[in-house]
Amino acid sequence: MISNPELTADSLQPAKLTPTPRPRLRAKRPARALLLALVAITGYTLTTLAPHGVDLGAASLTFLRNLRLMFLQPHLGQETFAQLSQALLLTVALALLTTLIGAGLAFFLALITARNLAPRSLGDVMRSVMALIRAVPTILWVLVYATVIGLGTEAAVVGLSFHSVAYLTKAFAEAIEEVPKEKLDALRASGAGFWLTVRHAVWPLVRQRLLAWTFIRFEINFANAVAVGAAAGTGGIGYYLFMASAFYFDFQEVGLIVLMILVFAAGLEMIAVRMRKSLLTGN
Amino acid sequence: MLSVRHLTKTYPNGKKGLQDVSFTAAPGTVTAVIGPSGAGKTTLLRSLNRLITPEQGTVTLGDQELRGADAQALRQARRQIGMIFQDYNLIEPLSALENVLQGCLGQKRLLPGVLGLYTKAETSHALALLDEVGLRAYAAQKTRDLSGGQKQRVGIARALMQDPKVLLCDEPIASLDPQSTRTVMTIIADLAKARNLIVVMNLHQVGIAREFADHIVGVNAGRIVFDDNAAALTELAAAAIYEKEATALA
Amino acid sequence: MPNAVSVMLHHQRRVRWGSLLGVVALVLASQVVLRVNVHQALFGVVAGWAWLGAHFAPNAAALADLPEILYQLWRTVLVAIAATTVAGGVALVLGLAGALPTSHLKAVRGLVRLFASLMRNVPFVAWALILLFSFKQNDFTGFLALLLMTIGQLTRAFIETLDEVGPGPIEALTATGATYWQVIFQGVLPAVAAPMLSWLLYMIENNIRDATLVGMLTGTGIGFIFDLYFKGFRYASAGLVVLAIIAVTIGIELTSNKLRQVLNA
Repeated sequence: MISNPELTADSLQPAKLTPTPRPRLRAKRPARALLLALVAITGYTLTTLAPHGVDLGAASLTFLRNLRLMFLQPHLGQETFAQLSQALLLTVALALLTTLIGAGLAFFLALITARNLAPRSLGDVMRSVMALIRAVPTILWVLVYATVIGLGTEAAVVGLSFHSVAYLTKAFAEAIEEVPKEKLDALRASGAGFWLTVRHAVWPLVRQRLLAWTFIRFEINFANAVAVGAAAGTGGIGYYLFMASAFYFDFQEVGLIVLMILVFAAGLEMIAVRMRKSLLTGN
Repeated sequence: MLSVRHLTKTYPNGKKGLQDVSFTAAPGTVTAVIGPSGAGKTTLLRSLNRLITPEQGTVTLGDQELRGADAQALRQARRQIGMIFQDYNLIEPLSALENVLQGCLGQKRLLPGVLGLYTKAETSHALALLDEVGLRAYAAQKTRDLSGGQKQRVGIARALMQDPKVLLCDEPIASLDPQSTRTVMTIIADLAKARNLIVVMNLHQVGIAREFADHIVGVNAGRIVFDDNAAALTELAAAAIYEKEATALA
Repeated sequence: MPNAVSVMLHHQRRVRWGSLLGVVALVLASQVVLRVNVHQALFGVVAGWAWLGAHFAPNAAALADLPEILYQLWRTVLVAIAATTVAGGVALVLGLAGALPTSHLKAVRGLVRLFASLMRNVPFVAWALILLFSFKQNDFTGFLALLLMTIGQLTRAFIETLDEVGPGPIEALTATGATYWQVIFQGVLPAVAAPMLSWLLYMIENNIRDATLVGMLTGTGIGFIFDLYFKGFRYASAGLVVLAIIAVTIGIELTSNKLRQVLNA
């Protein structure tokens, strides 16, 4: 009881104070120091960043003109609308599949990573391995797999899944670690084994958080699926985006593709909001 | 003298907040506003410094009318009205001293206020106020690390920093344990006498109201149903205030 | 009462089986669209690692490229920090205009939120490629690409942070007669500084990760030289790039975890 700071009587507090000759009156603010450091680095970087041989004014104007072309006059270029829709569907499916694979594997991996469930050494090993996998950029996994098993969906699926598993394992494990030990002990005390504890104490308490993380990862995977299509040529809407802007310089088609993606994203956000609502009410 | 006449507030959703509320609060006394949840206590208190703007009636402090005041006059008036809150509303990452100093923001010019440049005089005044509420030793502590009772005392010191004529207390003890409750209420009641403050507070403990307040206003469903000395609040009268559909007492 | 309980249990059961079926259906639907060769994919998982071990191990020749790699990596980190910090400044202004406690005009709030959502959802491939066309192949293009993709994310994050502060501290300072900007600078910003900087650190981490990809697309920084080595079959050098990226990413992650602890102390 007494250990709760809200309940301690005032008389218990002074013990924490160490007398100092000249009392500091303002709270220490590491935030300010960090902010200053970031601003200093930024200032230095910006002074060294000015490009040679590019007229920034003219470049900005071209950029704005292209933006206007994109968003206000989108139209079809080399491909038919059906082709683009098919490609978008492919990209969505890629993001969806890799997210689900990632979430499924990550759940079980998180159980042997979380500090409150797994043995300490096993958790440490898992965390290090996951940090290592996460540190390798997604695109790299895809390029490597494209080289080994050939350019195609398989390379993209395996590459994107790798990163998803590592990312979600970390996120899931942290969510699980927030389950208070007492709640786990309550079930363990009733003689429930590992899986029963997971099913009846961990799962109900964390499933909303896990779902939220999975959604976030889906957004990331979608962006990655587009990027991978563009940078590694594994197909999907990203590939057409790359061709339209880097090969045909057709910014109106780029605009159409971007708008298609925005419409999809808006739809997704609506679904996410609705799911969150039904989860909150239908509990 | 703080004088409230015929205040009426209707919320956009049609809910009646206040209906024709009138009462006066005198310097050097504690006025407690009691009544069931949702009766309009919070609306009433927030109308006094116009964090909520009622559509009819007047709030007069001395010779100044607040309900119709323009932005400039309102800020002037708010400087004379200190306020403390149920959840303290401190800026938790800042020290107790810095929180107290914020009480004088209203008296500062824009730029020094924005940059948080306080004068030596202001700092020593703030320290003296922390001393007055018994927290001089905690000046440099982040308020996040203080107990509930201590936080509320920092809140009181912040309000005093304004050198106010009025102190509004919005459920000042609702989040506190019994011991802190007594400490905080004693400080407030003593301050009212010592500084000749007009204190108006929302409470939901009738016992505490009867013990520490001089004057009690009972509110039910947006109307005043009791307005008298604390001594006049009998068990029967108190029960009547908390009735679901109280009828105005004579 | 038992009736209500059985209705609830029935509902629970329906939700449970419904979600399970939904997930299975989504996996199957994706598979129908993608037609993944499961056998090949599983084989790839193992083969990929073996291939990495065989080809990506840095050798003596690759070490000659180390100075160039380290220089590009250094530039990439700087650009990521600069882009995130500038984006943070823009997002702070937008966040104040878009959050409920600090912005009183509903139309402005809606507009800011719409803008943030747009910026967030335009794929960064598109940003990178359009910028490349106008600003050509240089670090500044990489900076702008990261900047544009970060603004939307940070604006949303800052709005949420400000919304979480709630009206309390703002009400308290308003009641002292402080002006709007005094309330913002003395009340709101100190209260949100730690979580906002935490977001900034997170985005710096993210941007360093994404810099490889952005670099490949815009032909700048670490991504560009990786692409160069990889497409030129100089796998040992590419492997060295990867090792360097891993070291920096983990280093930055550890640093920002430390910083976050200090911030929240």
